[in-house]
Amino acid sequence: MTDFADNDATGDGLRRFGLFASALAGRPVDVVAAAPGQRAWTDGDTVFVDASTNAHDLRCALAVQSSLLAAGSLEPDIVRRIGRRTTVATRYLAVEGHRALAQIEGLLPPTVRALIDTDIAARGDSPEASLALALGREPLAEPPAVFGTVKVRNVLAASKNADGHHAPRGGRQPQLVDVPDDADEDADDVIDIFTSPVGGGGGLGKLLAKMLSMARKLGDGGMPGADTPTHRVRSGPAGGGRAVVSMATAAEEGSAGGACGFSYPEWDIHRRGYRADWCTVQEAEPEPDQTGMPPVPDTHGLRRPLARLGVGLDRCRRQPQGDDIDIDAAVEAQAEFLAGSAPDEAVYIDSLRRRRDLSVLLLLDASGSVGQPGTAGRTVHEHQRAAAAALMVALHDLGDRVALYAFQSQGRSAVRMMPVKRFGDDVSAVVLRRLHGLRPGAYSRLGAAIRHGSAVLKRDGGTARRLLVVLSDGLAYDHGYERAYGAADARRALSEARRQGIGCLCLTVGAGTDTEELRRVFGSAAHATLPRLDQISATIGPLLRSALHSADVRRRIPEVPDPKGMPA
Amino acid sequence: MTAGARPYYVAVGNEEQVFKASFRQGLSVVLKGPTGCGKTRFVEAMAYDLGRPLITVSCHDDLTTADLVGRFLLRGGETEWVDGPLTRAVREGAICYLDEVVEARQDTTVVLHPLADHRRQLPIERLGVTLEAAPGFGLVVSYNPGYQSVLKDLKDSTRQRLVAIEFGFPAGEVEEKIVAHEAGVGSDAAGRLVAFAHAIRRLETAGLREVASTRVLIAAGRLIAEGLTAHEAARAAIAGPLTDDPIVGRGLGEMIDVYLRD
Repeated sequence: MTDFADNDATGDGLRRFGLFASALAGRPVDVVAAAPGQRAWTDGDTVFVDASTNAHDLRCALAVQSSLLAAGSLEPDIVRRIGRRTTVATRYLAVEGHRALAQIEGLLPPTVRALIDTDIAARGDSPEASLALALGREPLAEPPAVFGTVKVRNVLAASKNADGHHAPRGGRQPQLVDVPDDADEDADDVIDIFTSPVGGGGGLGKLLAKMLSMARKLGDGGMPGADTPTHRVRSGPAGGGRAVVSMATAAEEGSAGGACGFSYPEWDIHRRGYRADWCTVQEAEPEPDQTGMPPVPDTHGLRRPLARLGVGLDRCRRQPQGDDIDIDAAVEAQAEFLAGSAPDEAVYIDSLRRRRDLSVLLLLDASGSVGQPGTAGRTVHEHQRAAAAALMVALHDLGDRVALYAFQSQGRSAVRMMPVKRFGDDVSAVVLRRLHGLRPGAYSRLGAAIRHGSAVLKRDGGTARRLLVVLSDGLAYDHGYERAYGAADARRALSEARRQGIGCLCLTVGAGTDTEELRRVFGSAAHATLPRLDQISATIGPLLRSALHSADVRRRIPEVPDPKGMPA
Repeated sequence: MTAGARPYYVAVGNEEQVFKASFRQGLSVVLKGPTGCGKTRFVEAMAYDLGRPLITVSCHDDLTTADLVGRFLLRGGETEWVDGPLTRAVREGAICYLDEVVEARQDTTVVLHPLADHRRQLPIERLGVTLEAAPGFGLVVSYNPGYQSVLKDLKDSTRQRLVAIEFGFPAGEVEEKIVAHEAGVGSDAAGRLVAFAHAIRRLETAGLREVASTRVLIAAGRLIAEGLTAHEAARAAIAGPLTDDPIVGRGLGEMIDVYLRD
């Protein structure tokens, strides 16, 4: 075996070992670089190994740590009894390491199997037995260096973090289905250097995370968080201004109908659990624009790519082949044949995909950040508004069911959804005026907006194929909804939607958000960044098709791994 | 179908007894299991043992009742009835195997109902006749319950007309024997492929839509038999088909190096 791991096993390169570690551990495990010279260890979710170790030792170290996880050696009850005694921890590892490896021996590659000392492995049949040996006075050989070490404090901290479910104030949501999806995997592929994998849920950790986390950028010199526009300026954002919350939304809060709104849960990445009934979404009628006549969007280029989306089966007459004979056509053909002219051979009835079977809900981000100047001398909002108008009109003209909702938020209890066009509305001047009357302001709680959008789509869509299109600059930010948290929640909301059979597409038009950031927010949902609106017609067809397809992906239900049922 | 050798199938449980008992009792059978675990091969072996011809239909989205039952065609001035595969099996007393039956639309699968229950009849409304199934007719359908689709599932009324046989991947040593036999490789190479596959099957949500099946192991084994090294074969026949994702692909490549590189 060559030492090729030395060459490219940088911190990020280690991630490719994650699959190997997960396979042995029987649950998703990440592999991350430890400090140079440090022995391998794990906190239960992540294995830390020294990246400069040679390939063979690296694999052995990963195998040992993963097998400890598979064998249940690092359960909190066990490690708590080890406490701070490092000698006990070392003695425990000396016995339990062999036992854990032996338990999954059938799964181990031959090079790792050689590590197992069967005599030691046979001495205990459970973590408890190994611990009893470790607590005794019997001399035990030191574990090999590749066994790494057991860090009791980190294991306990991580398990506490994982168990620390949020107790909702107002009774639990009946049942929040956990999404067995790539949502977590998405979360893992975001490199979050400021969140400690061993917890960081404490006050100091949160404070540090807040202080050090990358804030949304405003041009060149904006203050972190100071991105709610207080007024519209021509000269672009000036640095260092004091943030004043825009009142454009607050004045209308009363007009939300007084209804208590819709409650949605929110995914808390720090606790790895849902917060039940966390966000309240209110639907508020948008003010129509009274100045002038809004332009009718040009949808010529969009019609062609959209025309072939989401069509259902229909019985079509006069087809060249099909299930049944079209009697009328057959009689005519026979008459023509007898009359001596060339008969038409299209005499069958066939089921063809011609019926429109698609409902689309467009979600338009109307938060303050889209008020920023974008490309081509227009604000991001103007770009996205034009895209929304074009998509809405084109899909409506093709006979699909379309709705357009704009969203903005002021904290979790005031997520405002503005129905510019509901499913039942016709595309009219009123709708276009409402669209042009939208003023960007406040923040964007993207997750709640997506959840409400998919709920509306499910309730009112009325077709088998459903599509949610999010037009946003990808900056999910609100009170108590900072970047990493918001991105995780938005990703989660998108994967929930897909799980309900709703295709999701995220479009960013004219905004300068970098692609890494967008990937963080939109995860594995189809997403695209377009500098200008006129590029949309070239890309929209394949994007929407892949979004629809992803909602229909049949998933493998993960089986509960059984450590005992291992192959011999 | 009785000519030639019996298709190679190693029983892992009582599935052969259940199938033959159902066949003799005129019950229809559903085979449930992940892709590439041997469902089709099992039906071939059973058809051989029972001495019945086998008619296989791969179901798809646009499969209509007429595709199964038959249709009229116009030839010159005459109409001519052409039997579909299901009708042919009913007339000839063959085993009709509908592969991935969930893929077919539900209005198509209801045509199976009178055939699958005690009536064992196939009404053909276009001809105005009802065919009684010939002795020896058997209906077998397969589907993969591990895949969940929001749009597709088997109707309960269809499910309850069928006897279910569940398939999983065979145990380690059995699978090793199968790979060695089918691919013509030594038990050492087969054993390492199987160990690798068992590791992959423990991955839950690692971005893989499907795990390594016995079928891909056999494909890798056959490449090894052609002289490729184990890791080349596994990259081509196992890692490549399982994922398109570059990150997952690198992870699988790493596992291949661990398990299959000398």
